[in-house]
Amino acid sequence: MPKVTIDGRTLEVESGTNLIDAANRAGVQIPHYCYHPRLSVVGQCRMCLVKIEGMPKLQTACTMQITKDGMEVTVDDPEVQEAQEGMMEFLLINHPLDCPICDQAGECGLQDYSFKHGQAFSRFRYSEKRTYPGRERIPLGSNVVLNMNRCIQCTRCIRFTEEISETGELGFFQRGARTEIGVFPGKELDNPLSTCVVDICPVGALTSTRFRFAERVWYLDKKPSICTGCDVGCNITVEHRRGAIKRLKPRFNEWVNDYWMCDYGRTTFERWEEGERLVTPRIRRSNGSSELVATTWAKAVRRVLDRLGNAADPEATAFVASADVSTEEAFLLARLAQAVGSSKRRVVVESGPERSIPTVHGVVSGSDEGPNRRGALLAGLEASTTDEMLAALGLGDPDGGGLELLFLLDPDLGGRESESAFLEAARRADTLVVATWLDGPLAEIADVVLPLATTAEKEGTFVNVGGRLQRFEPAFPPAGQARPGVDLLIDLLVGLEIGWRAGDVEAVFAQLAKENRLLAGLSLSDLPAAGVDLETERGEAE
Amino acid sequence: MAFEPILTRNIRHPEVLSVDGYRATGGYQALAKAYEMEPGEVIDQVKASGLRGRGGAGFPAGVKWGFIPKETGKPVYLVANADESEPGTFKDRLLMEKDPHQLIEGCAICCYAVGAHVTYIYIRGEYAEAARILEEAIADAYAAGILGEDSLGSGYRQEVYVHRGAGAYICGEETGMLESLEGKRGQPRVKPPFPALVGAFDCPTVINNVETLCNVPHIIQRGAEWYASIGTDERNTGPKLYCMSGHVERPGTYELPIGTTFSGLLETAGGMWRDGELKAFIPGGASAAILSAEHADIPMDFDNLAEAGSMLGSAAVIVMDQTTCLVKATARLAKFFAHESCGQCTPCREGTRWAEMTLYRIAEGQGTMADIDLLDRMMKNMSGTALCALADACVGPVASLVKNFRHELEACVEQNGSPYPERRYFSAEGAD
Repeated sequence: MPKVTIDGRTLEVESGTNLIDAANRAGVQIPHYCYHPRLSVVGQCRMCLVKIEGMPKLQTACTMQITKDGMEVTVDDPEVQEAQEGMMEFLLINHPLDCPICDQAGECGLQDYSFKHGQAFSRFRYSEKRTYPGRERIPLGSNVVLNMNRCIQCTRCIRFTEEISETGELGFFQRGARTEIGVFPGKELDNPLSTCVVDICPVGALTSTRFRFAERVWYLDKKPSICTGCDVGCNITVEHRRGAIKRLKPRFNEWVNDYWMCDYGRTTFERWEEGERLVTPRIRRSNGSSELVATTWAKAVRRVLDRLGNAADPEATAFVASADVSTEEAFLLARLAQAVGSSKRRVVVESGPERSIPTVHGVVSGSDEGPNRRGALLAGLEASTTDEMLAALGLGDPDGGGLELLFLLDPDLGGRESESAFLEAARRADTLVVATWLDGPLAEIADVVLPLATTAEKEGTFVNVGGRLQRFEPAFPPAGQARPGVDLLIDLLVGLEIGWRAGDVEAVFAQLAKENRLLAGLSLSDLPAAGVDLETERGEAE
Repeated sequence: MAFEPILTRNIRHPEVLSVDGYRATGGYQALAKAYEMEPGEVIDQVKASGLRGRGGAGFPAGVKWGFIPKETGKPVYLVANADESEPGTFKDRLLMEKDPHQLIEGCAICCYAVGAHVTYIYIRGEYAEAARILEEAIADAYAAGILGEDSLGSGYRQEVYVHRGAGAYICGEETGMLESLEGKRGQPRVKPPFPALVGAFDCPTVINNVETLCNVPHIIQRGAEWYASIGTDERNTGPKLYCMSGHVERPGTYELPIGTTFSGLLETAGGMWRDGELKAFIPGGASAAILSAEHADIPMDFDNLAEAGSMLGSAAVIVMDQTTCLVKATARLAKFFAHESCGQCTPCREGTRWAEMTLYRIAEGQGTMADIDLLDRMMKNMSGTALCALADACVGPVASLVKNFRHELEACVEQNGSPYPERRYFSAEGAD
């Protein structure tokens, strides 16, 4: 591997490594706007000029690949600094400097580099600023708004649509100082990944329709999570202010979603915000009025335990989760069913539209409507669609009998055709226990309602379509009295007095890892950031 | 002793527009001769001739041809740069309109030497007449068996296509030209890779200026030694077309040995217009640094002009007399570059416009002394930092104005505008 020396630090890098990336590894930040590791190199912004031994002029680091030994690079250098300052001045003379009302403020490349490489005064006469009248808020599609006055013409967005989404809606128009970006006539920026151009826009030129003016970014708390939109399992960051999610952003994982995520995935938190949230346990009165009333967790758990204990025929009880549950929740649900003696433990997975993310290692596609079918299978649940599940549980006939007890964990009706059949079957159960975050039709007909934490509020793992085990963290505490499924399932298992002891997600994962050879030796807190490929690294998952 | 024109020998003989007419002057013999030679020998001849690129950069043509890799499995292309857009330059137009077969022959010889079978002549969009003449000449050459599957019976395939530009100076930059040729937005590429390895349609490509290619048949026909005997020295050889414009009595294209002094050129062009006094001249097109009258005896070749801080460029010589406001003249040049910047890279997109505005501000009396320093600083920030040479092209005249003619800028500031009266060369009364 070739060696390169950057500001006196020598390191070995893989042949072909881009100098900006190599410098990063050496702890040297080379400022840049147009360079992006997944886009073609264009050398346009000229911010990354550095000194390279043996070359007469400053060179753009982005166009340098390290292929042979001995390249000596100087970044910390008066000449380089002068060039950086000159470039910042060029970029800022026509910039509107409307940071107070700009969504990008706080995470803006112009602000960051101004802080480091800029000047405190302007030599430009304000009245001569170039503007693009009428192009201050142009919707490029339903998700992205362009303010051309803020654009620094780095072409990342154009290259994204050419090279990543391969839809080519965007182009450069005009030339010289009038150069602008835009959609080609008759087109709209409407590809499934369109909002990624907002992420990669280094300035406030492209903003997200959803996030525009929603929050100042410095008030956002950010936590790593996994998208629940499908089983691709895009790594994301949940960005919220005091529990109110403002946006989901992709988090780099080269094996799953690279730097990207789809527009649909970005909307998945909205159901938690829009749906009526369930925050108190409820039980149905047993005194005849059969009214659903608020209660305490202890009473609700007691009621569930009573009903579980009283079940005459264990096979007339069923335990059904959606593919939104974590692997740990699925594992505990399977254990609960086992403790009761029921073989009816299922995860309901519906197929949705195929969603694809291009990565350096190939396209990752998923079409499950939930993120964790494979994790639920691994944990001991059987997978089926709603219709298959109803048939398997003997609930397919609308005039037939019901179960003695039906336990639903994080059920997802999803507005599908099967919804009414599902509701009808649930209604026929003697005891219907629903653990859910949504105060919807299922909660209304339940005998016991257990308020559940959403994915953003809980910790655990999902296994994606490719068999990659990935961890997510709680972004904020559950709303009201809602609790993570793991906590309430442990309460039930402990209450059954079959030898379970109280524990946390970490302990549940440890137990699962002890029992499943695919997870042998893993611990939740030590999972690598990129997750663990259970399929190729640890043998077949299914 | 008057210099006998070589490249322009036929310009007053319209019969050379036909293949037969051109052949009657000895045309296409060089191509036939080249086919008798090994391709490598042709390249060696061109190297030995010392021919340097006539488009502006002055890169040795034979060396450039030698860069074309052998046996890559990809086709090789020749692109003839006929996008003559440098302000003050009008030599290639003359060559194409008056002697198109000379260019076609040069292209064919070059193709044979580098193993190319296809030539694209990328011609400036405004050169409609030249394009038409070329198209006709090419059709004739196909009909006469000079172009086609079996060029002159050699078995060598030769194809020539004319591709018209759409009006952008930047498409004269070789990689901008390639992008445009491929149907993309005309904006220069990052180099390396250089076109010799990755050029048109990702294939090895030679790009030569029209005038450069027109020299080739003569080198092959009359020998490298003969060619090298013309000019200043072994690094500056051959005939050169100089485009004289501005305050000269007889503006036009003049063919003289490379290295003719500026004063010699001026004399050939009839001297200063109305016996004016020489104040300054631009020796090599709008991108070249402006030289003052004290450089009048400079030999107009690549190396002497570079030494003087300017360049031969496209040899567009713009002459300015004592009535010229250099600030206004330079502002107009900056305006040109701002207009022609492709806009992809920061220093050029922003710097050319800022330079234009600052210069006009000074010329119009709104400038300050700080603006002069600002210009200086701005040119340093643009110099050598851009993706292609266009920013540096703007730096050429502007930096030289600040360096060599600072007093003119100061005069504009002190006197609240240019002290030179507006001149109308084509007033209602007529400009006699």
